[in-house]
Amino acid sequence: MRGKVVRLLLVPAVLVAIVLSSCGGPTAEEAGPAELPDKIVVGCLEPLTGAHAVFGTEAKIGMEIAIRHINEAGGIQSLGGIPLELVVEDAGETADSARLGAESIISKHHPVAILGLYISRLTVAASEVTEREKVILIADALVDSVTAMGRQYLFRPAPKASQHGASAVQFVVEAAQQTGVPIERIAILNEDSSFGRSNATGAMQAALDNGLTIVYQKEYPFDIADVSSIVNEIAAAKPDVVVHCPYFMDAILFANTFRETGEIPKFIAGMGACGYTDPESIEALGETAEYYSNTYSYNPAKDTPQNRRFVEDFVAETGHIPTEAAGMNYYAMWVLKEALELSGQLHPDDPLNPDNLRDAFLQLDLTSGPAVETYPGDRITFTETGDNPYAVATILQVINGEPKVVWPFEAAETEFVFPRPDAKY
Amino acid sequence: MRIKATTFNRVLLGVLLAIALLIPLLIRTNQYNLVLVTTVLLFGVLATAWNIIGGMAGQLDLAAFAYLGLGAFTSGTLLIRWNVSPWIGMILGGLVATGFAVLVGFPLFRFRVREVWYALTSSALVEVLKVAFVMWEDVGGPVERYLPYYSFSLYHMRFGTYIPYYYIMLAILVIAIVVNYRIGRSKLGFYLRALGEDEDAAEILGVDARACKLKALMIYAFIVGATGAVYACMYGFIHPSFFSGARSTEVAILGIVGGMGITYGPLLAAVILVSAREFLRASLGGQMESLYLVIYSVVLILIALFRPQGIAVFFRDAYRKLLSKVTGDEHVLRANTPGI
Repeated sequence: MRGKVVRLLLVPAVLVAIVLSSCGGPTAEEAGPAELPDKIVVGCLEPLTGAHAVFGTEAKIGMEIAIRHINEAGGIQSLGGIPLELVVEDAGETADSARLGAESIISKHHPVAILGLYISRLTVAASEVTEREKVILIADALVDSVTAMGRQYLFRPAPKASQHGASAVQFVVEAAQQTGVPIERIAILNEDSSFGRSNATGAMQAALDNGLTIVYQKEYPFDIADVSSIVNEIAAAKPDVVVHCPYFMDAILFANTFRETGEIPKFIAGMGACGYTDPESIEALGETAEYYSNTYSYNPAKDTPQNRRFVEDFVAETGHIPTEAAGMNYYAMWVLKEALELSGQLHPDDPLNPDNLRDAFLQLDLTSGPAVETYPGDRITFTETGDNPYAVATILQVINGEPKVVWPFEAAETEFVFPRPDAKY
Repeated sequence: MRIKATTFNRVLLGVLLAIALLIPLLIRTNQYNLVLVTTVLLFGVLATAWNIIGGMAGQLDLAAFAYLGLGAFTSGTLLIRWNVSPWIGMILGGLVATGFAVLVGFPLFRFRVREVWYALTSSALVEVLKVAFVMWEDVGGPVERYLPYYSFSLYHMRFGTYIPYYYIMLAILVIAIVVNYRIGRSKLGFYLRALGEDEDAAEILGVDARACKLKALMIYAFIVGATGAVYACMYGFIHPSFFSGARSTEVAILGIVGGMGITYGPLLAAVILVSAREFLRASLGGQMESLYLVIYSVVLILIALFRPQGIAVFFRDAYRKLLSKVTGDEHVLRANTPGI
């Protein structure tokens, strides 16, 4: 009886062993002379369902508008005006769904590049796939470690989280210098995600670089229910400024607790684009939101023709100004467009080959054009790791109930308010 | 010619296994289909293991990903820190999960925490572990920890293709099913089912509820923990978000919809529901963002309404009809072998 079962199992097992030994890895087809397709497929892989859907949906709209604008402007000119086409796939909210999404979009549509994933752990899971398949991944997840994995085909035009933290500190330092208010002591706070941690790390580094003393540092769970003990500890440490990377509800909690206790330092600066200055938080906080600031990877107020056009079209479609996720992906798509143009010039024989396109990304150095016109900084280029060393975040401050761009000073919409008029110490 | 029912069963099992073994070879160029079938197997394993504690013992366990996460972190940490092969990590991960199951299960069953209270406690467990691992900087922490990348390394259980993962998952699945089947026909299985039906009555008849439930929980935790090691290798990183309450509930849903206490029920549910959901997500997810979740839930509700005993019952009846035709034996139609 047992012998029968064993024999039964043996046949398929041998078959499997034979085939397995013959498939060490995916077989790559020999690249023949390049024939250009009639359109270039770009993938949008964002969390469109689940907890992060709100970001993914915004990102998708940003990409759609960018594609429309690029195609209206004549597509990829160096490749004979080929238009771009967007294919969309949902990445869900877990590592397995992100992985499935990446495999699905690549095997079905063979995109030359994929934009997305917003959340770092989804990006990590999907980037192993894009790396294997040699598909360019333009990441909008800002956690520093995303570009520290040694991925060859991953690029991130947006400022990374530590650059957000550094920008927040830089703004505070420059504002203090301009107004002649001395600051020496700083407190750094962050929620306990990898994003919060990265922001805080950047802020700490920038604080030390600027000769500030870190008198208080705290990481707390993002869904914290009571922050009065933290606020008391901060008051006891008497920092001149607090730099804080919140999520959403905790920012509201902190702002209200600061107001209730009255222990308000000279300035409270947000970092990481969540909380304090977004429309929902301003509405929830009312007057308490006044003078809070936060850092953004996109500057909706940048006064350039391309940006005005994007904001106008975005408002027409959704009724609100573009959020960070939308803006980041709008200029990311333009960066991809510029890379495709350059690849067409550098490698006319096979411009869509992933290695040629990667080479174009590495050689890219943009200081003008639609990508830079919508970018928070003024120069886009990529290092080997895939980051833009010239990336900076924009700072928005709530003034008279409206979020206004106040930093970098040359791109400011209005004059910043520093120190806070209601500061107690 | 008359065929014996047992022979027919064996042949059918052999055919199914051969198909399962051959699937990846037929679709080996399409990585998406490969990851999909591997994911189906993953949920098949989890739901089959769940069947022991949930289906047989009737404990609505909502902590599958607690044990999976423990296994993933054990094996992942061993690999990252000390370059210990995940094959060893798999066993150790299973043991850590089992140890944790004892730690949790012993007091829970000792103090007769059961039914909804057991469900609530176990679902809280996932959240507690998530927070604990975010705070435990040496092992977890908020930042993802990456496993070293190899395009094909048996020692590190890291592969650039899903085919090896598929076979590892399939092997675990076969083990899980055999364990399930064996338990189903053993004394423990009868005790568990008695407990599942009416705990008080079973205890009066002399069933040691505490020991039996603890055994079931330990076996379940070990299988899920070992699977966690493969899970970490497949996705290439470990992160406290692995302790997912939503995913744990999904495992329980598969177990219930499949048919409580029926060995192949949860697997059947995993095959049908996971692939259906993924099909809907891939075809609708990009355009009508959340529509696929609505369709998926409607399907679940319909099954709950019209097949409350699970989809396995439906298949079992159909299979028995087929069997009676093939064997000409009317008896199989009424046969009521528990656990099959």
